[in-house]
Parts: sequence; C-alpha cells; structure tokens
Amino acid sequence: MPREAEPSLNERQFVLQALTENLRLDGREFDKYRPLELTFGDEYGVADVTLGKTRVLAKTSAEVTVPYVDRPLDGIFTIATELSPMTSPAFELNRPTETEVLLSRLIEKTVRRSGAMDTESLCLVAGQKCWSVRVDVHVLSHDGNLTDAACFAVVAALRHFRKPDTSMEGGVLTVYTPAEREPVPLSWLHSPFCVTWSFYGEEGEIALLDASWSEEQIRVGSCTISLNRHGEICQIAKLGGTPVEAVALLQCTNVALTKVKEFSTFLDKKLAEDAKRRDKGGLMAELSAENDR
Amino acid sequence: MTTESLLVLPGDEIDPSLIPTHKKNPLRLGPGLRHVPPNHILPTVAGQLVADHRKTSLYVEYNGGRYIPSVSDLVIGQVTRSAADLYYVNLNPYTPNASLPHLAFEGATKKTRPQLAPGALVYARISLANRHMDPELECVSATTGKAEGLGPLTGGMIFDISLGLARRLLMARSREAGGIAVLELLGAEGLAFETAVGRNGKVWVGSENTKTVVLVGRALKETDEKGLDVEQQKKLVQKLIKQMR
Amino acid sequence: MPATREPEADLSVLPKADGSARYSYAGYTVTGSVNGPIEAQRRDEHAYEAHVDVIVRPAAGVGGTRERHLETTLQSSLTQLILVKNFPRSLIQIVLQVESAPENDYVNTKLVQASLNFAIIPALLQTAVLALLSAAVPMRATATSAIVAVVSQDGASELVADPSPREVEAAQSVHVLAFTSQDELLLAESEGDFTVKEWDDVYDTAKRICCQSGATKGESIEMVLDEKGDNGPDMRQFLRSTLETKVVADLYWK
Repeated sequence: MPREAEPSLNERQFVLQALTENLRLDGREFDKYRPLELTFGDEYGVADVTLGKTRVLAKTSAEVTVPYVDRPLDGIFTIATELSPMTSPAFELNRPTETEVLLSRLIEKTVRRSGAMDTESLCLVAGQKCWSVRVDVHVLSHDGNLTDAACFAVVAALRHFRKPDTSMEGGVLTVYTPAEREPVPLSWLHSPFCVTWSFYGEEGEIALLDASWSEEQIRVGSCTISLNRHGEICQIAKLGGTPVEAVALLQCTNVALTKVKEFSTFLDKKLAEDAKRRDKGGLMAELSAENDR
Repeated sequence: MTTESLLVLPGDEIDPSLIPTHKKNPLRLGPGLRHVPPNHILPTVAGQLVADHRKTSLYVEYNGGRYIPSVSDLVIGQVTRSAADLYYVNLNPYTPNASLPHLAFEGATKKTRPQLAPGALVYARISLANRHMDPELECVSATTGKAEGLGPLTGGMIFDISLGLARRLLMARSREAGGIAVLELLGAEGLAFETAVGRNGKVWVGSENTKTVVLVGRALKETDEKGLDVEQQKKLVQKLIKQMR
Repeated sequence: MPATREPEADLSVLPKADGSARYSYAGYTVTGSVNGPIEAQRRDEHAYEAHVDVIVRPAAGVGGTRERHLETTLQSSLTQLILVKNFPRSLIQIVLQVESAPENDYVNTKLVQASLNFAIIPALLQTAVLALLSAAVPMRATATSAIVAVVSQDGASELVADPSPREVEAAQSVHVLAFTSQDELLLAESEGDFTVKEWDDVYDTAKRICCQSGATKGESIEMVLDEKGDNGPDMRQFLRSTLETKVVADLYWK
C-alpha cells in the first residue's frame, strides 16, 4: 500500500501565510462551503452528494431479519463506511485507517446514536422479526471534509428511502414486493448534520469551514459539531490537536447552526423536487402512508 | 504545417497512407504508439493521431493519466528523504521515488552541496528513465555544468494541473501552438511573479505577494478544469484582477 | 424504473483519480476508477510486468466470494488488454463501484450479503475499459462485451440479448462473452445447460453485438440489417463515439 503524499514545506508555509492574510487558495471566505449538490438515484434511498471535488454516494437497503436477543423490540440499523482504494490508493480494503474509523464513528454518533430514526418502528414481531436497515457509504472522490459530505449523504439517503410495506394477519407476516404495494418511508424523527471546523495557527486562532484536502493536511486541529436545525446538539468531537479557546468554539457552534439550517432547507427542497418527479398523475398523495409528525 | 489528425483507439489499424515516409530519415514514433514487428504500428491510447510529414514523425496527442517519466523532461519533485549520497525525490504521489545525487547541482561538492530538508521542492531534469529502474534526476546540465534554472524552489506555492496543460505551458510558443495565454495576460496586468512548470503536472508559482500567487494559481486551475480558450482566459484574468482590487 | 435502452457513459468523472468512467446500460450503473502505474506492494510485485488489481464493490452490503470470483475473471481479461510489460514492478489499480443493478420488482432480495451475479460482467468490463482509456493506460486493444441468455419457449430455444433479471432467472443458460477490438474472443463465461449448437448461436449473436461496426470493418451493412429484430446497440461504435467526445474536449485548444 503506497503511502499518502505529504504536503511539501512550501505548501505548508504558503497556505499558512495566505490564511494569515485572509486568503484561501480557492478564493473562498473562511466560513463558506464549496458548492453542495445532491442527486437522488432512480431507486429509493440512493443519494449522490458532491461537495466541491469530494463525492459521496450513500445507498440504503432493508431486509427482514431476527432482532438482537438483548433488544427484542428494536430493529437493526447499521451504517457501513468503508473507504476503498477508489478514494485514494493509500486506502486498502479490510485494513481500516484512522480516517475511516473516525469517519464511521462520527457518522454513527451523529445519525444512529442521536436517535434520528425510530428504530422501534422497525420491529415487526417482538423478538422474532424486524427490519434491518443498512446504509452503505461509498466515497468516490476525497477532496477534504468527508465527514460533512458523508453525513449529509447518509441523512439524505435515509430520508429518501422507502422500505417494502408489510402487514400482519392472523400471526402471518406478509412482506409486499414493490410490484404489489407501494413501499413506505422510514419513521424519521430529526435530521442531524455535521459541520467541521479546521483550526490553524499556533493557538488555533484561525478557523475554517469545509477545508479542502490540501487544507486538511496542514491543520493543527479540527472540531466536528453535529446538530439539527432546532439547534439541538448531538455531539461535538474535538479529537486532540491544538487547544482552542472556549469562546471561539461557542462562536463556531453558532455558525454551525446557520449552516445546518441551510442544509436542512436544501435537503427538504431536493426531497420535494424528487417526490414531484416521481409523482405520476398525483397518485402518490393517495397512496402515501406517511403520518404527520 | 503538414499535419493531419484522426481519432484513434488502442489497437486500431492505422491507414498506411497516413504514415509519413521520407527517403532518408527514418520514421520516428512518438508517445501513444508501439511498433509490433515486423511492420505494424498500433496506437496504445485513445487520442488524436498526429502525423508530421516534415519531421517524419507520428504520435498520438492525448491528455490525462499519470505522469510516466521520460528522459530530459523538466519536472518538479518533492524531497522525501536524504541518503548517503543522494536525495529520494517524489514526482507523483503513490509512485516509487526518483533519485537525485547530492552532487547533481551546479558547482556542488561534498561540502557545498545544497541541503534539502524532507518536503523541499526541486526543479529538475530527468537524466535516466527506464522501465526496469527508478528514474534519476539532475539539477545541472551535464554539458555546460550550469544550473540553467534548475535547483531548489524556495517559497511560493505548487499547484497541480493536468499533464496536457503542463505540456502546453512548456511549448516554445505556448500562446500560438498551445492556446494558453493566461500567464502572459496576468503578467501584462502588472503582476510580478515567476513560475516553474513540471512536465509531471505541477506548476510552481513564486512571488513577493501572496495574493498574486493565489490569483495565478486560481487562473491556471480554472483554465485547466474548464478548458478555456484564449478569449475566455482574457475574461477570466480580468474578472480575477477585479476581484483582487 | 425503466432500464436505459441506450448505453450511456461519462469519462473522467472523478477528479482525484488518474482515470474514471461512469457507465450505465440495461439497468446497471457502475462507476470505475483507475490509478496507475503506481507503486505495488511487495507481495503483488512482478519483476517483469505490472500487476493489475481489480476490486469490485457492491452497492449494498459487503462483498463475498461472488465478488472475488468476478474480480479474478475481470483481472485475467484486463491483464490481456493492458500492456503490462511496459510497467514492471508496478500496480494498475481498478476499482469498480456498482451504483445500481436492475431490481426484480417481484422478489424482495436479501441484501446484507451482496450477491452480484455474473450478468453484471459486461457492465463491469465496459466500465473498466472506459476508465482505462480515460487514464491513458497503454493497451493492446479495447474490448466490448455482451450477455446472451438462452430461453426455451414451447420447446424451441430463443436467444435474448441483455436479458432482464427475470429472464436470467428463467433462462436455461446465460452466457457472457467479450471480444477485443481485433475481433478476438477475450472472455466466455457460461452458466446452465446448453448444447454446442446453442453455444455457437450465442457466440454469433454476441459477436455481432460486440463487433458489428459494419461500416468501418468493411462488411456489408445489409448483413446486419438482414437479421431480424433487435440486434442490441452497437457497442464498438458507442465506445468510439464516447472517446471521441473526450478527445475533442481534451484537445479543444488545437
């Protein structure tokens, strides 16, 4: 496995110098994201997210299985984030790197542990049958800020997903194929998003949003804040690095909230557009089994 | 110029009438072609077949892919480490290092050789490239003993560009033959900067002014990614200059 | 969702890889990336040629033995195409990420253990070839691939090109063939019961799909038109026009 290229001394020096002069290499302001794009696939539950040159594909799938013995009333919900050599030849299959572990931990904490999805609704027969929902995150291209892009893709894919409809009659469970009954959406409680700050300078006094790959390479610390648009914080992770002023962190959280609100609105808009595209002759409104939460 | 062009894919038959012939000069095959004995010439990449009847040469013009070292190319490398009498220099991420002897600098002796730390950049020429060996570099001309612009690059910033753009920037008449005028235009706007173009898809830009370097880098990247022609490059340069002021 | 009838492809879709392609046809969408020649690991290093590493990743679930099988099949075919002797001791890494495969609306599939069947080989091979061309990796020839199923109806067997998942399930035998641009057979994989006669027919049909380009090959166009019904798309012509777009875009400055 070839090693990841390190930035040259010139690059390190120059990027820092430029940052002290309020300049980023791509001309962005410090608190600006690169253009975020989202496309849904033809199938339900496929979200393709591009953030500048970073591109992440998330695919949701579901199957009926047996629940865990210690959680008979809960369904199973897993998020798989495996980085393949497509992301960078420095990654190898079945040998997780630090990047990969951190990415999967952050997304796990943000989406799964924050109770974004109602896992109890995935239970079909207590202790015997439940849905297992799985999201596969495929990083196609890595140009920095994987966490935010991947988290957005996961949330988008899950909200777009429809699982096959089921019914219980006389103790017999029937799972309908898509041809028989229109699939139903997951029961979704809130949409958390990640916002990652990167810190530069001796005391981490310079903070950047959405660092590109070359910027990430030379940061002295980073902090990922996950929250939803109501301002409820799911997790804050600052994993080592240079200490940062508490007041600065508070400021970061405030900016993160405005970004999350933007993400939220953007996703809602895209979902609505997609629903319109799929809505053939207005049949969807009648068939929809969604309940207002 | 007596050139003709045609799209070729790997393994395509080349129409014999396109192959230039000359009474005395042998045919010279450029990149993207291979000779299969006894008398087949086959393309190995997808691109435009260019035949130059005046030079009796034939090659395939294409862009993209990974840089493959070839002798006398000018490249920008990054020092990974120093050994007893040579530096290991990386030309391209994930590829084996090239070697640059400590004494391959202008006027270098054991005592006066430049000291390069890991991560330093050098502008060098490829002195040996062979598929069975790692490439070797030099920062001094073997014939004149002069550096001729090669050597360590201090300060400044390095930008990644496509191999095609690097080739065009290195053309003797880059504006006319390569359709690339962005550096010229930026210079005409009064920006003071210097550049070094590596055939391995890297451009080093140096200037007293940080803003200038950022601007030149952005102009190059945008020209490369969006495939701008000379007119569009003019507009881009004007837009960027305006933004800076 | 309706499967795309015409093949579609985009080249160089991934900015960070040396070469990449996104290909979709008959319900399959695959994105492939190529990096190389790069440094090979000790265990993969060959003294005289490049190691071609193929990784197939299913859209959902973890890969298993089926994916490994597909990888070996593709690896041996692609090693034949790439001029591996040009890059001794190096590695050419091809990653094929399946984005979507046609779903059988009448069956709920098991998903945690992905099970790619070999009907996906043409899409994978085509993506790999396009990505290799986009990465400008020197090759001996290009290749095109087709899948043909033998379906028996009322005692008579019929050939179906690009069968749907349901047809694959119902078919007596399924065959995947690939041809190089020099009309040589590159790959032949079969599954099911079939006779030599059937295989010959399959061979002819697949060859017609892969190698038709009647006009450029100097064969009479009528020959192609004579055949009844759906011949499937002209894969070779498709490959050429896709590449033409790329080359024209790359050399816009000429």
